[in-house]
Amino acid sequence: MSYFTAASLDEALNVLREAKGKALIIAGATDLFLKGMPSQAVDIASLPELGMIVEEQDYLSVGAAVTHAAAASSPLIMVKAAALAEACAAVGSPQVRNLGTIGGNLVNAAPAADAAVALAALGAKAVLCDIDGRRRVEELGNLYAGYNQSRIDSSREIVLNLIFKTCQFNEGSAFARFASRRALSLPMVNVAARVGLENGVFAEVRLVAAPVKPAPTRLFKTEEALLGKEPNEETRQMVEELASAEVKVRGSLLRCSADYRRHLIGVLAGRVLMAAVRRVQDKEES
Amino acid sequence: MDIGKITFLLNDEPVTIYADPAESLLHLLRDQLGCMSPKEGCGRGECGACTVILDGKAVNSCLVPAGKAAGKNIRTIEGISDGKSVHPLQRAFVEKGAVQCGFCTSGMIMSAYALLAENPAPRQEEVKRAISGNLCRCSGYKQIEEAIMTAAEEMNENRVRFVEKEQKE
Amino acid sequence: MQPETPAVRELISTEKNYQSAEVWTKVTGKAIYGIDLRLPGMLYGKILRSSHPHARIKKIKTSAALKMPGVRTVLTGSDLSCSPYGIVINDEMPLEPEHVRYVGDEVAAVAAVDDKKAEEALKLIHVEYETLPAVFDTGEAQLPEAPQLHENFPGNVAWRREVVRGDPESAFRNADLVVEGKFHIPQFHPAYLEPVACVAVSEPDGGITLHTAVQSPDIVRDLLAQVLKLPLSRVRIVGPVMGGGFGGKVYGNLNLYLISALLSMQTGLPVKMQLTREEEFTAGRPMVAAEIKMRMALGNDGTFLGREMDLITDNGAYSAQAPWVSNTLAERNDSVYRIPAIKTKARLVYTNKVPTGQYRAYGNQVANFACESLIDMAAKKLKIDPLEMRLRNCVRPGETTVHGLQIKSCGLAECLAAATEEIGWTKRKKGHGYGLSAAIHASGSVVFDPNLRGASARISLELDGNISLFTGEQDYGQGTHAAFSQIAAIALDLEPSRISVYSKDSLVTPYSMGALGMRQATIGGKAVQLAAEKLREKIIRTSSEMIGEPVIMENGRIRSASGRQVDFTEIAHYYHGQTSGLTLTGEGSYVPPESSYDDTKYGNIAVTYSFAAHAAEVEIDPETGALTVHRIVAAHDSGRIINHLSASGQIYGGVAQGFGMSCLEGYLFNEGRVANPTLADYKIPTALDVPDITPLFIETDDPEGPYGAKGLGEIVQVPVPGALANAVADAAGGWVTEMPITAEKIFRILSNRGAAK
Repeated sequence: MSYFTAASLDEALNVLREAKGKALIIAGATDLFLKGMPSQAVDIASLPELGMIVEEQDYLSVGAAVTHAAAASSPLIMVKAAALAEACAAVGSPQVRNLGTIGGNLVNAAPAADAAVALAALGAKAVLCDIDGRRRVEELGNLYAGYNQSRIDSSREIVLNLIFKTCQFNEGSAFARFASRRALSLPMVNVAARVGLENGVFAEVRLVAAPVKPAPTRLFKTEEALLGKEPNEETRQMVEELASAEVKVRGSLLRCSADYRRHLIGVLAGRVLMAAVRRVQDKEES
Repeated sequence: MDIGKITFLLNDEPVTIYADPAESLLHLLRDQLGCMSPKEGCGRGECGACTVILDGKAVNSCLVPAGKAAGKNIRTIEGISDGKSVHPLQRAFVEKGAVQCGFCTSGMIMSAYALLAENPAPRQEEVKRAISGNLCRCSGYKQIEEAIMTAAEEMNENRVRFVEKEQKE
Repeated sequence: MQPETPAVRELISTEKNYQSAEVWTKVTGKAIYGIDLRLPGMLYGKILRSSHPHARIKKIKTSAALKMPGVRTVLTGSDLSCSPYGIVINDEMPLEPEHVRYVGDEVAAVAAVDDKKAEEALKLIHVEYETLPAVFDTGEAQLPEAPQLHENFPGNVAWRREVVRGDPESAFRNADLVVEGKFHIPQFHPAYLEPVACVAVSEPDGGITLHTAVQSPDIVRDLLAQVLKLPLSRVRIVGPVMGGGFGGKVYGNLNLYLISALLSMQTGLPVKMQLTREEEFTAGRPMVAAEIKMRMALGNDGTFLGREMDLITDNGAYSAQAPWVSNTLAERNDSVYRIPAIKTKARLVYTNKVPTGQYRAYGNQVANFACESLIDMAAKKLKIDPLEMRLRNCVRPGETTVHGLQIKSCGLAECLAAATEEIGWTKRKKGHGYGLSAAIHASGSVVFDPNLRGASARISLELDGNISLFTGEQDYGQGTHAAFSQIAAIALDLEPSRISVYSKDSLVTPYSMGALGMRQATIGGKAVQLAAEKLREKIIRTSSEMIGEPVIMENGRIRSASGRQVDFTEIAHYYHGQTSGLTLTGEGSYVPPESSYDDTKYGNIAVTYSFAAHAAEVEIDPETGALTVHRIVAAHDSGRIINHLSASGQIYGGVAQGFGMSCLEGYLFNEGRVANPTLADYKIPTALDVPDITPLFIETDDPEGPYGAKGLGEIVQVPVPGALANAVADAAGGWVTEMPITAEKIFRILSNRGAAK
């Protein structure tokens, strides 16, 4: 095979263009290496422009080549997008977090990818650039073609970064997963929430769970029911019931039964919601 | 299979080899460079026995395509001591009984080495997290954790002594 | 009682953390394991395995593979001249010539110049199968219409055993309480971190040298010679460092060894083979799965009156050690307590799944899950404290158990007291669950091979005054060799670091059963003690001969009454000169008394017995069933502890494994295929999972073991499943009767009780 380590984005795009569909973008390669390396690889993991975490006004941009380890320990992400930091810290192992990237996590399109679930809850959009230099911005949900299948064509486009609004003073986010082992483990479920409170009630809620569908799935009905409600034990219980009623899930021999998975989504939805609320309250108190 | 020229630093020394860039760094180290300390326990990034340090970060060398190693600085356990003395981690692993079959030991010490470079005084929970990608089937991890904490203390004492000596002089 | 000389006391206390020099090779990355071996001209072997659970091989075409550049030979079952072999039952071939019985069964093998070419060549071998109906369930396998896996085993029953001791009928008739339960236990893999690897070298004399790290090299050597029809002296096993064994490498992987030997004999070149992790899970030898139905009869005061067990173990396609493991699984737990009446019915049944073998405590640990759960179920019904119930019934020193085991040293009651005291049995934290469990394990089996019950050792004084110890007992991290150095050091009055231990070449080491049945420290250590004592006598005799007056040996010094001193170097050289090159050597053999085993297998089976009690403290998340194991206190009577650092390490590691099998691990199958053949999906504990473990040593002084020591390496795992099951039951209000105890299963119990939140 041939292996090209790109020094700039333009260089990477040039190589893709010249290879006419035969070269593939790779980043951390932790998933790709096991699936099989392409005959031509363009490594973008060390492109400086893809490795940055930048706050601009009310938005946070996380470069696609930012590793899970870097995201998990970024003070900016910890403060402004706690769900993403928590999700990235939960992935695999320290070694895999040191290699695997946020962008790669999306392109790999696993249905219960931790970072993707948090990003979906944060309302992140992906910025892509194709070989002709055209940039587009996509909702995360639009990037999935099916289970473990991405719409992103790595032979002709590159995810540059993920952009989302930072959590403001009245906003908070949280992530939780449930797995049988505390490291080196795929989750049975993972859930993330982003909430905004106004006058002590929910003004905005994004609640995302996986694995439900190929892409991280928003629980719209539960979100809607929460608006205008006060965050308290009663609401938490309501969320538990609504969230597990809202999802249709599959069971798996390796993880757990469908019933239990649905139950867990409910419990974790209640928990991440309250954890996100606590983050708002902590800011208000301090 | 295309063979490419790959140059990198292995334990601070430049090496150049010719290899398929899709080969794993682990096989490169073991089969081409005779560096046998990283072990293959699974070949899928699921056990940590092949852990090496790549530009300061612990990684599973079985998941790193050789092409990715180009231009990087790679450290294995052969490169943590000068051959005459031993690293405090190595001594502590022996003294605390942290080694049984030893198959995980090289990778385990490299994860600990990366941890202590970033966090010289870790709490036990941080030690557990840092080695959570390194499976050990023999030890139950307890004596490994003790060894890492002990080595951290020793390294910190050495640093203090070094600074004190500098100040005197 | 063992004499407690000052030397014994001092060495066991001051050298209690002694480590062999080998450990330094491991922390510097220099230790050479099986997977690291490379010999000049070496070929690489790979195995083509059946992709069907049950099929006939109609045709195999190997010509394309043979023509591939780099391929040196291809072997199929029809090329072999050997007969079916086995450890207990002769039901297996290195390569199956016509009938494959599980997904993973060996069909063909290739030797090529590198492993990639060997792998590619496998794809060029074309096998035509005629698929046969397969059976995966032990119940269905026994039905008359079920497919038969092997001739001569009607109903697919590979082994059966029925035992009655005492009068179980009247025990159950007169019982105040009868409790019963049904328990399900899946296959567990030892999951040692290094997959089995070997290099076979065909020698010019027609023999084979096999380089491999295996727990019982001499037994493997016997089997290789037998299957390959070679004279025993032409088979040699040389051991690299072993990356974990835990009972799973007692025989390593015999088919792998045989195939590499055959490939090497065919090509005349060394052939290296190693299993992938996936092959380890799908074609290794995990421990048998079991279905246990059990009933227990008790009096109102909690006295045990009798126990009945109906056991079905899942053999998989071939038998390996499964009959023996099934036997231990069926009866060892009966000897933890005084149970006057026993009725056991056990069957081992063939299915089209991965063949099974053994793991650490030979099935004793999974039987513990059932037996100890049932005891707590009874305690709850009778409203008796589970500790009190155990203390009332547990076996005591000097007793003979229901199966005839003769208990000499026994600190079980003390272990129960110590473990519960330490965990805070009477000062419980609110909302936490507490569980207790007890165990016995044979240390030094004398029935494994009745003709070779003991062990021997050879110990020599080298010219430089240091000591070389030759033993067949294997150390792969348990600390056996450090303990041997310490034992010999006591006898010879010198520092353990002056004694080097050699065990890894069958050409020069004494024959041994190897690392199994907790025999090494006890039986092997005793042989070392005897050999060292002989050498001591010889040194004294030779010294006095050399200087012409009587001498005494004290604190590592030899001196005469007149004050003349001699050192070891002088004596070694003197003897060397007198004999033209010999070294002063002590040979020790320890031959334990014969077993009193009768036709019903009643009788004493081991040199001695180790005991343990574990107490666990857990917490359950009522919303999800998620289990947090806060602590396991492991109190052990393994006699006198020779090396505290290694002994503690055995407990930490063994308890962690027990925790793994109890809560995380276990095989999953999909139509006979292993569904979780990776370390990602077969989840052994990480550093974040293992609970806090507290080892406690109740040091009895065993009359048989060296300086009072008994075995420890296997029993460490035994009480864990029962202690955790009981702690979970205490917290959840009901027992999970299927291993592993997962959050989902706990949640189901909470839900059924209406206790889930």
